[in-house]
Amino acid sequence: MGVFVKRDPVVLIIVAMVVALMLVFGFNMARKPTPTEAASAALVNHPAPNFTLQSLDGHPVQLTDYRGRAVVLNFWATWCAPCKIEMPWFVELQKKYAPQGLQLIGVAMDDASPKDIADFAKEMGVNYPILVGKEAVGQAYGGIPFMPETFYIDRSGKIIDSVFGLKSKGEIEENMKKIVATVASPQTSK
Amino acid sequence: MIRSIALTKTALCVMLLLTSVFAQDTLGGRKLPSVTLIPPGVADISKGKSNIVNLDFQVGPGFHINSNKPSAEYMIPTVLRLDPPTDITVGKINYPAGEEMSFPFAPNEKLSVYSGRFTVGVTVRPLSGVLPGKYEFRGQMRYQACDNAACYPPKQLPVQFEVKVLKAPPPHRKNPPQSPNVHN
Repeated sequence: MGVFVKRDPVVLIIVAMVVALMLVFGFNMARKPTPTEAASAALVNHPAPNFTLQSLDGHPVQLTDYRGRAVVLNFWATWCAPCKIEMPWFVELQKKYAPQGLQLIGVAMDDASPKDIADFAKEMGVNYPILVGKEAVGQAYGGIPFMPETFYIDRSGKIIDSVFGLKSKGEIEENMKKIVATVASPQTSK
Repeated sequence: MIRSIALTKTALCVMLLLTSVFAQDTLGGRKLPSVTLIPPGVADISKGKSNIVNLDFQVGPGFHINSNKPSAEYMIPTVLRLDPPTDITVGKINYPAGEEMSFPFAPNEKLSVYSGRFTVGVTVRPLSGVLPGKYEFRGQMRYQACDNAACYPPKQLPVQFEVKVLKAPPPHRKNPPQSPNVHN
C-alpha cells in the first residue's frame, strides 16, 4: 500500500475525498431529521397554525373554533391502511375523553370527493369532525408527505407533540391524557 | 501515468455512484419509497399477431405497493397505462397476483401487495401494415406505497420501452397438388 501511495499521490487524494464524502453523508444521515420531522419539530411548543377548512357538510371550520379544548389533529387519507386502523381507536377515545374536553379533528388529505370521504367516515363510525384538507394546510404542518400524522394541541392552542405513522392505541391515549391535563390560558381560550 | 488516470476515473465514478445512491433513496435520513422500471431490452415482436412484452419493476426494500387487485375497495390499485405508437395496439395487461401479506398495523388482515420485484406482461399487436423497425411505447404506472407504519400519496412512474417489429417471414408456399396423371 505504501509503495502504491508513493507512486500515485493523486489516487491517495481521490480516495481521501471518497472517504470524506462518505463520512459527511453518514454524519448527515445520522443526525439530520427529515424536512417533515424538522418542520414538525419546529412546530412543537409553538401555537398550532390556524386554518379554515370545509367540513364534509360544507361549513367552514377554523382550528381556533376549538380553543380551550384539547385537540388531536389527525391527517389521514381514505387510501391509507394504517389510518384506517387507528380510526376506531380515535372514535373510542373521543367518546371516553370528550367529557374532559378532548376534541378529535380529522383532516382528509386525499383526492376523493367529499361524498366518498363522508361515506368512508360513516362506514368507520367516525364521531368527530372530518375536514377536507388543502395542500396549504399540509404545508403549514410540515408538508405531510406520508400519513397518518397526528398533532396533539393543548387547551391554549400550543402543539405539545407531533407523531408520524401509526402508533399503538396506548401511546395515542397517553398523548391524549397529556393534552387533556393542560389548562387553557385565559387570553387564548374561546 | 495511464494507470493513475484510470484509477482517478474509477474513483470519480464511485463518488458519482455514492452521491446518486444517497440522493435517490433518502431524504434527510428517512428512506422514501421507490418503484423503478428495470430497463427492459428491445423486445422483438411479430406483425399481425399478439406478442407479450414483460416489464420488470422493483419496489424498494421495506416498502410495498398495492397489487392491481387490492384487498379493499378504498385502496389504490397499481395500474399501468400506455400510449402505443401508431399501428401497434395494446391489448390485455397481465398483472401478477399480489402477495397476501399482513403488516404490523393490521396483523389480522391480509393485504394484496407487490414487494421486491414483479413483472407486468403487456400484450402488443402490430397491425399487418406496420413497417419493420423500432417503436417506442410511453406511459405511466400509478401506484401507492406504504411501509410498516405509514402510507405515501399515490405516484406516477414514467414507463418507457422499445419494441422491434420484425420483418414478416416469407409466406409458406405449398406445392400445388399434382394431378395423378401428370407422371403417367
